[in-house]
Amino acid sequence: MACRIIMFYRYYVAHLRLCHQNIQILKPKLSFRISRASSYHYYHNLNPTDTQTNFPIKPKLSSFITDSEIEAEFSHHDPGVARINNGSFGCSPAFVISELQQWQLKWLRQPDHFLFNELHKGILKSRNTVKELINAEDVDEISIVDNATTAVAIVLQQMQWAFFEGKFKKGDAVIILQCAYGAVKNSIKAYFLRAGGYVIEVPFQFPVNSSEEIISEFRMALVKEKASGRRVRLAMIDHVTSMPSVVLPVKKLVKVCREEGVDQVFIDGAHGVGCVDVDMQEIGADFYTSNLHKWFFCPASVAFLYCRKSVTHLELHHPMVSHDYGKGLAIESSWIGTRDYSPSLVVPSVVEFTNRFEGGIEGIKRRNHDAVVEMGKMLAKAWGTNLGSPPDMCASMIMVRLPACLGISSNDDALKLRTHLREQFGVEVPIYYQMPKHEEVATTTGYARISYQVYNKIDDYYKFRDAINQLVCDGFTCAQSLGKYGLPSS
Amino acid sequence: MASSPDHNHTLNGDSNTHASKKPKLSFITPSEIAAEFSHHDPTVARINNGSFGSCPDSVLQAQRRWQLKYLSQPDHFYFNHLQAGILHSRTLIRDLINADHVDEVSIVDNATTAAAIVLQQAAWGFSESKFEQGDAVVMLHYAYGAVKKSIEAYVTRAGGHVIEVPLPFPLNSNDEIVTEFKKALEKGKANGRRVRLAVIDHITSMPCVVIPVKELVKICREEGVDQVFVDAAHSIGCTEVDMKDIGADYYTSNLHKWLFCPPSIAFLYCRKSPKGVELHHPVVSHEYGNGLAIESAWIGTRDYSPQLVVPAVLDFVNRFEGGIEGIKKRNHETVVEMGQMLAKAWGTHLGCPPEMCASMVMIGLPACLGISSEKDTLKLRTHLREKFAVEVPIYFRPPKNGEVESLTGYCRISHQVYNKVDDYYKFRDAINQLVSDGFTCALLSN
Repeated sequence: MACRIIMFYRYYVAHLRLCHQNIQILKPKLSFRISRASSYHYYHNLNPTDTQTNFPIKPKLSSFITDSEIEAEFSHHDPGVARINNGSFGCSPAFVISELQQWQLKWLRQPDHFLFNELHKGILKSRNTVKELINAEDVDEISIVDNATTAVAIVLQQMQWAFFEGKFKKGDAVIILQCAYGAVKNSIKAYFLRAGGYVIEVPFQFPVNSSEEIISEFRMALVKEKASGRRVRLAMIDHVTSMPSVVLPVKKLVKVCREEGVDQVFIDGAHGVGCVDVDMQEIGADFYTSNLHKWFFCPASVAFLYCRKSVTHLELHHPMVSHDYGKGLAIESSWIGTRDYSPSLVVPSVVEFTNRFEGGIEGIKRRNHDAVVEMGKMLAKAWGTNLGSPPDMCASMIMVRLPACLGISSNDDALKLRTHLREQFGVEVPIYYQMPKHEEVATTTGYARISYQVYNKIDDYYKFRDAINQLVCDGFTCAQSLGKYGLPSS
Repeated sequence: MASSPDHNHTLNGDSNTHASKKPKLSFITPSEIAAEFSHHDPTVARINNGSFGSCPDSVLQAQRRWQLKYLSQPDHFYFNHLQAGILHSRTLIRDLINADHVDEVSIVDNATTAAAIVLQQAAWGFSESKFEQGDAVVMLHYAYGAVKKSIEAYVTRAGGHVIEVPLPFPLNSNDEIVTEFKKALEKGKANGRRVRLAVIDHITSMPCVVIPVKELVKICREEGVDQVFVDAAHSIGCTEVDMKDIGADYYTSNLHKWLFCPPSIAFLYCRKSPKGVELHHPVVSHEYGNGLAIESAWIGTRDYSPQLVVPAVLDFVNRFEGGIEGIKKRNHETVVEMGQMLAKAWGTHLGCPPEMCASMVMIGLPACLGISSEKDTLKLRTHLREKFAVEVPIYFRPPKNGEVESLTGYCRISHQVYNKVDDYYKFRDAINQLVSDGFTCALLSN
C-alpha cells in the first residue's frame, strides 16, 4: 500500500496540479520515422543562439512533463519488453533523437561549411554544459570522447609512454578493485602491464555491508605496497561498479589515496552523470570519466574525460591522432577524422529535456533511487531473498538476490538465464553470478541488477517478479532446464 | 511509430551477398539520383566530394532502420544482431577489395584510426626493442597532414627516424615519383639502419595525384622494407583497389568518401602472414586479444550503424550501369573533361596527366589571383563559399628557386554522381569574375 501511495504522488499529483490550466505542451518530434527525402528539409528549431547556456535547475510551475509525454518520448522502446536494464546501454528520448538527426542533416547538407563554421562551436558548448554539470573549474579540463572505454585508453596510453620514457620504473603499480569493469582490466593489461607495470587488485566482498569495509581493504592494500617500497602511480576506482553494482565511497577513497602517496587517481564514473552526484571539487580526483548516454539521456555515444588542471598536468593525447595533435586533449578530441559528431552536440538539448522534470536531473536521480530501492525490496520480499547492498550504497540500480533453487552456478548460467528471461518472458535484466564463499552452505549465487529510469513502470518489475516466481514454481534450474546452449530442454 | 524493430530487407536474405554487377534493365534515372541527394544544399556547387564524401537517401534510410533497432531494444541488438551485421559488412568488403580472408578485414571509423593502429604497433616495436632507435619510417612529402602528425606522435616520439619523399608538383609521370622514392629508401638504409615501415598514399590529398602504389610496394620488397602501409583514404569507389594485386601489408580506405556510406566507416586490411605482427585497436574493450577485426567490432557502447549499411550501399551502386566500376569510370571521364574545360577557360593547366587522376583533378588557378600562402588558399576558399556558393579546396604550391611564371594556386575538383555540369560552370564563372574584378588574395582581410 505504501508503495502505491508513493507511485500516486509521483505520477498523479503533478498532473492534478496542471489539469485546470492551459498548458503549453512541448510535443516531441518523432521525426525519426522512416520518411522520404523531401522531409529532410524540415528543420526543427535548431538554434545556434540557444538560450540554454547554463542551467541552474528551473522548476517550471505550470508545465512539468506528464506521464503520457514521457511515454511518447520513449515510444520507440520495444513495448513487449520489461526494460529494467537502463544501466547497460541507457536510453534517449525522442526529443533528443530528433535534435541529433537535425545535427546529422546539417552535416550531410554541406559538410565543409559545417566543419568550418559549426562543429567546434557546438562541441565547445557541450563541453561548457558538462563543466557546469560536474562543477569543474575550467572548460579546458573537459574533453568529449566516445565513451568511458576511450577515456580509460587515453589515460593508460599516457602511462605506457611514461614507462617507455623513463618517468615510471618497471614494477611501478596501478591499484584497482577486483570488481573493476572487464574492459578496464583489459586496457590495463594492454597498456600498463605490457609496458612493465604491476597491478594491485584489492579484494572486494559482495554482498556489501558498508562503505567502511571497502575503504579499509583499500587502505590495507596501499599500506602493504608502500611498505614493500612499490610506487603506486595510479588508482583506478569505479564510482558505481558494474557487476555487481554498488556505489563506492569515492571521495573517501580519493582521500586515502592522497594520504597513502598514490600519484594520481582516476575515477571511472561510467554510470556517473545522471545516476550519482558528480562534483569534481567534492570528489577531488585527477581524472574522471562518465558516459552521458547511460543515465543522461544522450544518444550513443558521448562521454567526457575530466582532467584536473591544478595538478602537474601530464600530457594526454587522443590515440587517434589528427591535425590538432599537440593542442591539448580537449581540442584533439574534437576532431579525430571524419565521423558523426552529432552525439557530442546534443548535450545542451538534453539539459532542456531534463529541466522538463520536477527538480531537473536532481529530481530524476532522487526519484530513480527511491523507486529502484522500493522495487528491489518488493522483489526481495516476493522471492524471500535480500538486496546485495544497503540502499545508501545504491543509486539508480540495485542488486537483488535470486532464489537459490534456480541453481545459477557459473557465469555461463547467468548469461543463459538472462537469455531465457529475454526470450521466454520479455524481461531484460543482467544476471550476476557470485561465487559462494567457502563457509556458505546454501548457494547464494545469483543476483539480478535492476535499473530504474523515467520510462519504467511498476509493471516492469511485477513482470520480472512473476517470471522468477514462475520459474521457481516450475522447478526450473539452469543446469537441467537450459541445455548446453542455453535452450530450453523439451 | 514502429512499435517493434522494423524488418529490414537488407538484414537477411539480402539479394546482394556478393559485389558482382547485376546489369538491370532499368538503371537509376537522373531524377532518381537528384532525389537521392536532395538533402544536399541545392544552392551550393558541391565540387568537393573528396573531403567528406556523400550518402544517398536510401542508405540513410537503411542507417535509420539500424539505429531504430538499437534504440528499441539495445541488449537484444547487442547479443543477436550487431556481430552478424558487422561480419556481413566485412565479408562484402573482402569481396570488393579482393582479399583472401575475411579475418584480414577490420572495420574502423576512418583512415585516421587505421593509421593510429598501424603506427601504435610501430611504437611498441621501438619500445619493446624489436626496432632500434634510429630505424626509419618513410612517408611521402604529400602524406596527409593528420598522418604526418600520427607518425610524429608514435614513431618520432618512440625514437624512429622519419624520412620524407619529396615529390614535384605539377607532375608529369609516375617515373618522377618512383625515382624520388628509391632515393628516399637509400637514405633510410644509410648507416646500417633498417626501414621498418613505408607509409604510401594511394591517392594523395593535397595536391591530389594517384600514386603508382603497386610499383612502390614492389620496390619496398626489393629494398628490404619490413612493412608497407598504404593510406588509401580516397581509394575505394574512386580507383582500383585490389589487395592481392597491390601486395601491401596494410591498406586502409574510407567508405564514406567515394562509396556512399554515411560518416563514418573505413576498413583496415592486414595481410595474413607468418610474421603475424599483432595489431590492436587503441580503444581496448572486452575483445582484447581476439584479433583486430573482433576487437574493432566492439570498442564500447557507440552507434555502429554506419558500419552496418554496406549491403544497402551495394544495392544502391548496383542501380547504376556498370555498378561501382561504371560510376568510377564515368566520374573519372567527367572530372577530366571538367578540368580541361576550366583550364582552357582560365588559360591555366592541369596539375598532372589525366591518367594520374581518378575522380579528382587539380587545376591551376590564374596567377593574378595572387595566392601566396596557405592562409590565402583558406581565405579564397571561404570567399568562394560565401560569395559564390562554390565549395572547392585550394592548394598552395610554393614557387621553387629560379622558377619563372609558375602557378602558385591549384584547386581540386571532384566529380560524383550528383554533380552537374552547371556546378563547374558556376566555378568557372566565379573565378572569371574575380579575375575581371582585379581581385587578389591580399584584398581579403584575415
